[in-house]
Parts: sequence; structure tokens; C-alpha cells
Amino acid sequence: MTYEDVKSVVALSAILAAFGVFGFYLYRLLWVRLRRGRSSGPFRDWAERTKGVVAFVGGQRRLFRFPAPGVAHCLLFWGFLFLFLTIVQALFEGLLAFNDPEFVIPGIGEFGPLALAQDIAAVLVLGAVLYALYLRVIVKPERYEGSHQSQGVMVLLFILVIVVSLLIMNGIRIERGVDDLELWRPISALFGGLFGGLAEGTLEAVEETAYWIHLGVVLLFLVELPMGKHFHVVTSIPAVFLRNLEPPGRLPAVADNGDLGVEKIEQFRWRQMLDFLTCTECGRCQDVCPAYAEGLPLSPKRLIMDLRDTLKADFDGPAESPNGLVSDEVLWACTTCYACDQECPLFVEHVTPIVDMRRHLVMEGRMDDMLQEAMANLGRYGNSFGQSDRARAKWTRGVEAGVKDARKEAVEYLWFVGDYASFNTTLTPVVHQTAEVFHRAGLNFGVMYDGERNAGNDVRRAGEEGLFELLVEQNVKSLSRSDYKAIVTTDPHTYSVLKNEYPPGVNGDRPVLHYTELLDQLITAGDLVFENRLGRTVTYHDPCYLGRYNGVYEAPRRVIAATGCRIVEMPRTGDRALCCGAGGGRIWMAEGEVEKRPAEMRVDEAARLDGVDILVVTCPKDYVMYSDALKTAGLEDRLVVKDLIELVHEAL
Amino acid sequence: MNIAVLIKLVPDLVEELEIDATGTALDTTWLRLIINEVDEHALEQALLLKERGGGDVTVVTAEGDGAEDVLYAAAAKGSDRLIRLRGISFEDAPGNHTLARVFAAVLRDLEPDLVLTGVQAHNDLDGSLGPLLAEEMGMPYVGYLSGVQTEDGVCRVMKEYPGGLAAEMEIALPAVLGIQASEEPPRYLAISRIRQAMKTATIVDREAEQPDTTGAPGVISMFTPEVGEAATMLTGADDEVAARIVEILSEQGLL
Repeated sequence: MTYEDVKSVVALSAILAAFGVFGFYLYRLLWVRLRRGRSSGPFRDWAERTKGVVAFVGGQRRLFRFPAPGVAHCLLFWGFLFLFLTIVQALFEGLLAFNDPEFVIPGIGEFGPLALAQDIAAVLVLGAVLYALYLRVIVKPERYEGSHQSQGVMVLLFILVIVVSLLIMNGIRIERGVDDLELWRPISALFGGLFGGLAEGTLEAVEETAYWIHLGVVLLFLVELPMGKHFHVVTSIPAVFLRNLEPPGRLPAVADNGDLGVEKIEQFRWRQMLDFLTCTECGRCQDVCPAYAEGLPLSPKRLIMDLRDTLKADFDGPAESPNGLVSDEVLWACTTCYACDQECPLFVEHVTPIVDMRRHLVMEGRMDDMLQEAMANLGRYGNSFGQSDRARAKWTRGVEAGVKDARKEAVEYLWFVGDYASFNTTLTPVVHQTAEVFHRAGLNFGVMYDGERNAGNDVRRAGEEGLFELLVEQNVKSLSRSDYKAIVTTDPHTYSVLKNEYPPGVNGDRPVLHYTELLDQLITAGDLVFENRLGRTVTYHDPCYLGRYNGVYEAPRRVIAATGCRIVEMPRTGDRALCCGAGGGRIWMAEGEVEKRPAEMRVDEAARLDGVDILVVTCPKDYVMYSDALKTAGLEDRLVVKDLIELVHEAL
Repeated sequence: MNIAVLIKLVPDLVEELEIDATGTALDTTWLRLIINEVDEHALEQALLLKERGGGDVTVVTAEGDGAEDVLYAAAAKGSDRLIRLRGISFEDAPGNHTLARVFAAVLRDLEPDLVLTGVQAHNDLDGSLGPLLAEEMGMPYVGYLSGVQTEDGVCRVMKEYPGGLAAEMEIALPAVLGIQASEEPPRYLAISRIRQAMKTATIVDREAEQPDTTGAPGVISMFTPEVGEAATMLTGADDEVAARIVEILSEQGLL
């Protein structure tokens, strides 16, 4: 038996063993596990999905939101794709050694430009790996806190070894004068040069050693893939392809099997399970999470990792309750701000599993006392303030020109006022100015008076699906009795739920507008003309449910500009805006022990901007949260919070 | 263990209370009824007893807007039987003598081991319903309780006293108990559970006996108390009142 025969036998056994283990885990994870989940889909719109794979896997688009690591990952991804053929080559080289020790893949392996591309790819991958190692070992960004760091470093070293051993193998072949494409492999030639002057026998020994190291580590990498975060190499394409294409403001319907909420891991939809297996532990979600920044026990990354562990752990025994791993405190800490979902390069959803598990907690009555009281009030009076529903439109008494009842006379704009604007007395002047601006613009508008209820956005996200349905029914009743052409609201939460989650038949094709969109339209049409230019320097906070959830970024900025104010943006702006901490029902809960509230961090961020003395908001909850945060942060002399309508009112 | 819980509906104080033309009763035009808060604790305590030692919980109330919701909610929480007395409505503010008599008539048929009710209500701060009912039923009564345990026909109760004192007492069954607070806070009930109960639970309507109102004092006139001269009442919007309070406190050198 020659060395070549042995090489073939060993390579064959190693390859079979590695692929066997890999296949076995693939079967267990993607077939056995996912099949236990609830149904997902239907997945329509194949063209859009394919485009997504091209942009988000091929183009790695979301990764560039963190520029340097994004570039590094993109180089690794594409570099490895180019090098993939060299791995195939290495596998066959071993398998066919008994027949032809100098085997190269016909055609492909003899194509010079490809050899050059692979050499360049190797250098880029090496550079990217070294940067990634520097990032993980030296820089250690906070977002890796809680990730499997040693696993990350190990795989980077795998890649380093795979690439270096490849270059050595190729280099030595050039050195030995047996590579027909040596001119196409300048980098390999450099590596080969390191071994210049060694005897032919030694060179061959080094080459064979490099080969075995190369093959061994390639197969180790294959076996490691399904074990942890690198499984995304397998799942990223299906995960991105099967991502949720619904608007982010539309939560999936509750299970049709009567399960209200998720208590056990198998109650998740299989598509959610695929998310758990896809998480790369990169921590971008954790980096932008307001609850994590605040010091609450929630990290969106850890949440998904814990769910993945539960999913993988119950291979044989009965499923553990995920709530045993995901504690109530973690679930209740989320503001549903959507920053995590939006940041995830692979579209892992964090908010939907949280809401699913919250639904179960609500069914069990496991919630904060204050939240419980708010829910009881919402059920009884239709508002969280515990005030009589009859007092809902009390604020209209302060509007001299009066406010029509849209249920009694036809209006063009039905103003859905929302709880905070209706009941929070801090906001009454703002609400009055809104009515005045509407009057001055000549709008024919009205409200539903005591027929309006909380629209239900945050009730739903707090997991009280039944209460959400009740509120929708009550509002739909009043809406269907009203005569209007469009709905306008100042509250982004109300806006989002009316636009995305109310039964489509209720509103028909009548638009739902945020007041910033309406004002923007009025200004463009020349129906709202400003007499004064305010000439102030302001900053603007994008509300989660206006920006991230519904993509409205420009309308409010155009209105601010029209009042003659100059906007200086905060570092975290647009879709990166930090949540004020009030969403998803958080405003109804006790804050718990926190290091620094998100609202305080946010006013701090605004106060650091040179020349800015106004923080403009377009959400009633933001107004309340930030006015309060200015006081607790001691920034009252530095900054004022103004609703956009106050600027508009002043400029008229 | 056969446990009965009596639930009263009382005017919801989120609405402004107005006195009607007779000057002896509340104007019912804007009146909204709500479950007596302490009765929620009585119900919770009954459910805790059932969960701990088994048994049967029957909830009894009378007519009034919202009575159905209260009964369905009780069913969703785990009550076994729901009884609504017809012919007597909380909207007419029946006195406790009347209530005790009509409730007693129903309870006799149920033969309860334990009757739980809230120790008081905001329209009945002296809490006479429990004692009057006990008298009608010929049972012992103890009230102001914050815990109940039953074992072999003996009932141990925790009674609270002012000054941070508490006592454990023993009372023979059957008995009527006035609950101040349940051992656990009343549980939250998801709306979907109530909706489920609306489909599955049955409310039994029972015709109340001709109410006997004797023994109760009659109301001559109802009014809002005159403001005492020694006190200054601050009126106006919340922020004005708050500002005035801050002003006063600073004037007094307390801030």
C-alpha cells in the first residue's frame, strides 16, 4: 500500500465521518426540531424574497450598519465563497490521491484568473480574520458580552489555519515547480518563498503536513458549524428568504389552535425556531437595546440564545418551559422599540417571541401591579388613567372654536386623539394648540368624544390580546358610525395600530395620517402658511412607532424646516433613534432598579448638541417622558421639550 | 367545603356623584356600578381556599348594570356557580337589612360551610351586611380578616387590629366572615378568559323574596358636607392646586 493509497483511505474516512456528524445534526436541528413548531407562513412574494437574499446575504447590507466589522464580515463571506473551490479541490485531491496524486479539478483548477482571484481572496480573508481577532481579543466591544467568545475566536483561528495552510500548500508546489499556474498565484509564491532552499523531500513533507492540517481543520469547521453560532452559515439563506415581509407594526395573529401565548418551546412557530438557530451572537441587537442600556435584565441577544439552548436541549426529554429560562422580568423589560429586529443582519425577530411569551404571562396573571391596574382600567374605561370614559373629551371645552363630534356630523378628518393627549393634563395645552392649528388651516375635523377608546397598540404588545380585541371592537363600532375621509392622530402608537392592525374593512382605503404627515401635506399644498420664521436651532427625536415601525422620517423634518428652525441631529437619529422607554406597555409598569432611564440618556444626548435648546417631539408619550427626564436629569435650564405643533403654532 | 361569596355592586367613584330631585338618593342617570373592591378580596380568598382544600364556590349577587360581567369574571377565575337575584337592584341602593334578608333566603338552600363577603364597602363603611346576614342565618360572624384556613370543620382566621397587631382566632363552621384583604392580591383576569366564560358559564337567576326593608333607617336628606371654616379647600386645575400647595409649604418654611 503506497502513501497515496493511505492518503485516499484516510481522507475518505475523515470526510465521511465529518459529513456524517454534520448531516446528523442538520437532520436533528432543521428537521426534527423545526417540525415540532407550530405552522408558519404562508410565504408569498417569492421575487421579493429572492431580492432579499441577494441584498442581505449576497450584499450583506445590514452588516454595514456597523461599518468596519461589516466590511470585515463581507470580505470573509465573499473571500470564503471564492476559496470554497479550493476546499473542494483539497477534498478530491485526497480522495483521488491513489489514482492521481497531482489531481486538479478539470477546467476550473486550470483556469489562471480564478487562481489569481483565489490568491487575492486569501489575502482579504486573512486581513479580515486578523481584524476580527483584533476586535474580539483586544477591543472586546460590549455587544459581545454574553456571547460565546472563545467559540468565535476558535473559528477565526480555524479560518486562519485553513487559509495559511492553503497558501503554504500552493506555495510549495510553486517552489517545487509543479504548478502550471504559478504566475497566477503571486501570494502563494510569496509563502512558498519562505521555504526556499529546502530539499525536495522536506518540501514534500511540509506540503503533505500542510495538506493534512488544511483538510483536518476544514472538517473540524464543518463539524463545528451546527454546534453554535456558526450555524448561520447554513441557515442564513433560508432565514433571510423566509423573513417576515409584513409591516413591522403588524404582529402575527395568535395561534389558531386556541393556545393564547407561548409557554413551551414547541408552541413557537417553526419560523421563529429557525431564528433561534440562526442567531450569530453578534450583539448588534444588544448594542441598541434601551432596556439593556438601562441595566434591566433583558438582552435581546441572550433571549434568543436562551431560546436556542432550550430548543436544542430537549432533544429527547419533554420540552422545558421557555419561561424557566426567560424570566418574567426579562419579558416585561422590553419596550418593543424594534431597534433589535431592525439591526439584526439576519432578520431574527425578538419582539414577536417576547409578545408571544407575554401573552402566556397575561393569561396566568403574572404581571406588575401597576400594569394590572392599567389593564383593568383599559378594560373598564377604555383608558389607562382610570378616568371615566365620559371625561375623555373634556379637553374640548378649552377649544374656543369648538370641536365637532364626528359621529354626529360629517368631517373630512377624524382626529383619533389617544389616551395621553386626552387625559394627561400636561399635554392639554399641546392638544389645544393642535386644535387651533387645525382650525387655522381650515380643516373640517372632528373627534369621537366618549366613543373613542385606547387604540390598543401597547395593550397588544403587553400581551393582552383579548383586551386588544375588545378595544378594537369598541373603536370599530364608533368609527363605523362616523363619517370621515381620513384619520389623523398625534400619537404614533395609535397611528401604527390603526394603520397596520385594525381590520382592513373598517377604514377601507381612507388614509391614516400622523399629524406630521398631514401638516407636511398642508404646507406643500399652500394651505398652511407661516408668518414667522422662528430661527431656532432644534433637535428632533424620531418616535419608534413613527420611524422604525412606519418609516416616517422626512415629514416631521420638513415641517420643522418650514417653521424656520434648523435641525441639528443627535448621534442616534432616524432609524437608530433611542427609545424613550415608554412603549410596549412599559409606561404602565414600575421602572424597577435601573442605572439610568433611557429618557434621561436621550435628553442628555440632546443637551450635548451645540446651540440646541429645543428637543422637538411628535409623540405625546415622548413629551411626557422627556419633560420628566429633563427634571430628573437636572437639564431644565439647558433644554426644553416642545411638541412639533408648538413650533407650528408659534410660526403661524 | 361549600363556600358562598356575596358580592355587592357600589357606585363607581370615577363618575361625579349627584343627588337626585328627591334629595334622598343618588341620581342614577350618570351612575355607574362597580364591584365592591373588598368583595374582590372575599372572592379571591374563597378561590384560594378552594385551590388549597378543594370545594365549591358559589357567587351570589343581585341585579345591576355590570352584574353579569362580575359573575362571568368570577366564573373565569374558578367559581363553580353563579347566582343573580332578580327583583332587587343595586341601582336602587338597597339597605343592608334588605340585602341580608334576601341573600339569607338563597343561602339557606345552598347550606354553605362558609360565607365570605367584603368587610365593608365605600357606601357601607360600618360594614353591617356581614353581621346582619349572620344574624339571619344564625351563624357566628367575625370580620376584618386578612387570612382564612379551614381544617376538619374548624376555621382559623387572621384578624387585624390597629397599631400593627393581629390575632389568630378559631371559629366554628358554618360561619360568616368579613374579609378585609385576601392572602394573595386578587388575580388579574385576561379578557379572553372572561370572554371564554361568557360562552361556557351559566348564570342562575333566582327571584328574590319580597324585600323586607324594616329595621333600616330611612334617609331624610343627602348632601355634600359644608366646608368647615378651619380648613381651606384648594380648588381648580390639578397643576394650580399643586402650585398652591408648594407655595403654602414654602410660606410655612417646610420646603
